[in-house]
Amino acid sequence: MRVLLIEDEIRLAENVASALREGPGFAVDRAEDGETGAALAENGCYDLIILDLMLPRLDGLGVLRRLRARKDKTPVLILTARDEVDSTIRLLNAGADDYLSKPFDLGELLARAKVLIRRGKGIAHPTLGVGDIVLNTVEQTVYRAGETIELSPMEYRILEYLMHRPRAVISKRELLEHLYDYNWEHHSNVIEVHVSNLRRKLSGSDPVSSIETLRGRGYRLLISKAGGE
Amino acid sequence: MKPYSLTHRLIATVLLIELVSALSVTAVALLYERHAHFRAFDVLLRGRADSMLGAVQDAEDKDDNVMLDGTETAVPKDDVYEVTDAGGRVLGRSANWPVGQISDSSEHVRPRSHDPGDASYFETSIQGRAYRMIRLHGLRIVDPGDKGGGVRRYVVIYYGSSVRRVWQAVLRAVSFYALSSLAVLACTGVLMSWLLNRGLAPLRELAAGAERVSATSWTFVPPPEARMSKELAPLASALETLLHGLEQSFEQQRRFVGDAAHELKTSVAVVKSSLQLLGMKPRTPGEYQAGLERCLADCGRMEAIVAQMLTLAHVEEGQSAGSPACRTDISIALREVAQELEAVAQSREISIEVQDGSAMAASIEPEHFKLLCTNLLMNALQHSLPGSAVTIRVARAGDFAEVEVADHGEGIAPEELPRIFERFFRSDPSRSRKTGGTGLGLAICKAVVDRYGGSIAIHSKLAVGTNVLVRIPISVPASILS
Repeated sequence: MRVLLIEDEIRLAENVASALREGPGFAVDRAEDGETGAALAENGCYDLIILDLMLPRLDGLGVLRRLRARKDKTPVLILTARDEVDSTIRLLNAGADDYLSKPFDLGELLARAKVLIRRGKGIAHPTLGVGDIVLNTVEQTVYRAGETIELSPMEYRILEYLMHRPRAVISKRELLEHLYDYNWEHHSNVIEVHVSNLRRKLSGSDPVSSIETLRGRGYRLLISKAGGE
Repeated sequence: MKPYSLTHRLIATVLLIELVSALSVTAVALLYERHAHFRAFDVLLRGRADSMLGAVQDAEDKDDNVMLDGTETAVPKDDVYEVTDAGGRVLGRSANWPVGQISDSSEHVRPRSHDPGDASYFETSIQGRAYRMIRLHGLRIVDPGDKGGGVRRYVVIYYGSSVRRVWQAVLRAVSFYALSSLAVLACTGVLMSWLLNRGLAPLRELAAGAERVSATSWTFVPPPEARMSKELAPLASALETLLHGLEQSFEQQRRFVGDAAHELKTSVAVVKSSLQLLGMKPRTPGEYQAGLERCLADCGRMEAIVAQMLTLAHVEEGQSAGSPACRTDISIALREVAQELEAVAQSREISIEVQDGSAMAASIEPEHFKLLCTNLLMNALQHSLPGSAVTIRVARAGDFAEVEVADHGEGIAPEELPRIFERFFRSDPSRSRKTGGTGLGLAICKAVVDRYGGSIAIHSKLAVGTNVLVRIPISVPASILS
């Protein structure tokens, strides 16, 4: 998952970005002003935008309005130091999905970020299940037919992304964009290795491939209900 | 003091005045009516007494006596009379004549030589009722056709009539006046309360308008009637001015509190998130060390913001102009400040040049002057290009000491200049956060010069540099003042 963090307070942005990377293992891009943030958001490769309200050049509300005017459905979590009800109402009406008042709890921020990403992909429960694969986004554990599968962080993130959109064909570029920050292009060769490792770990002795590679189009999670029938 | 109504007071005052005048009119009317009625009554008595005289006839007896011919009995039955001849013999009296009761003081003197027609009046009381009496000395000429002009007979006629009816008439007239006055009084009361009510409507509207003002809604539009009224217009405009000023200062305070809360919350958020990040997973001692140092730096920034906010509050509190007693030698203070910041300047490879002319004393607390100069110089150093120079020029301009701080740096964008003195305003937030700016430095400078009646102005050109010009009143030595 890739998160855009628009926050002008550098130390706070550093901390939140570190937490997002270290905790749920998200890729994080940072913008220090509204204009840059809005421009970055236009790429459309983010699963969540964390937006501060008081920003130089273009304030948070402006970024939000510009985003929603483009029919961008990316979930937006607002960070605000103003906790007046009026501004909260205005924000939610302008299309924000959630907000947190400063000083917030980092754990709560991470939890809310995960909820928003999940909801943004139409999933209500933190435990994802496709076929006999169960992925717990809170504990970051993966089970297949009750057996724990040990994954590297990158493999986990690839599986998490694929499981959020089961049966959809996901291009390599999309995977790269959503799993790495702005310098994703450097990782373009590595991702194939990660996918193939993931496929091997998931399949085990199963003769049917769990992740289908559609040449020139991308990857698709293919898990049958009974796991191998 | 008990609350009272102006309307009621006005009405009461007017009614009181009217009541007093009504009473006076009634009293005057009473006097006049009594006088008029009693004059008429006296004329009536005289007429009755005269007709009594007409009833005196020659008795045709040997003593040449006179008698009453009987027509005298036709008088009203309440009236009393007695007719005596010159010798005191009673010729006739009414049946209800109170014998021995009529005591006319003038009778004791008894001046026998009364002229005929002499009449005197007096009051008496008969059977508990007030009577007015007339004593008429009458002359009756018996047989005027005889030789010698007839016989002259002198008689004294007492005639009295009850004054009850006279008083009744007087009182009727007076009560007419009194009742009319009362009616006028009542009408005035009603009319006045109605008119005053109408007339005071603009005042009530003004009060209603003022009542709608609260700390959250400051809109006050005086009603047009109040504005048109000569008496209310000054009040309305005073209220308007006052509320406008209050609203502005409230708004300013509100914004400051909001901004301060924002800054502090953000600082706390930084510290909190730094600590939470550190605790998210086990780390190496080196990571903990680095993390703690970052936390300490974050705390330091928060400390700086709090300190700056307290400084600002301290400078602003007691907004009185500096007393003539506080004097600062500008050159000495400036050199001290420059020395203190020399280390900062050297670390950024910037030189500080102080060009001071004549020695001058400004009327400002030394502590505040140094605060002002430190902030300005620090700003200049932070925005200067390495290797450039910051110049401080001191000059005298009339009654003001002028301090000009010029740097050669990136300058300030023209659109940002008007907001430069706003609290927590940063021309480039991310950049000045890196340098540790709190956005309060220039706000503090402005507060200092405002406190001492000075001025501060900034001229800047992008990529050329910034000039800050401060003017502070020159301190006049006490010896010259006296």
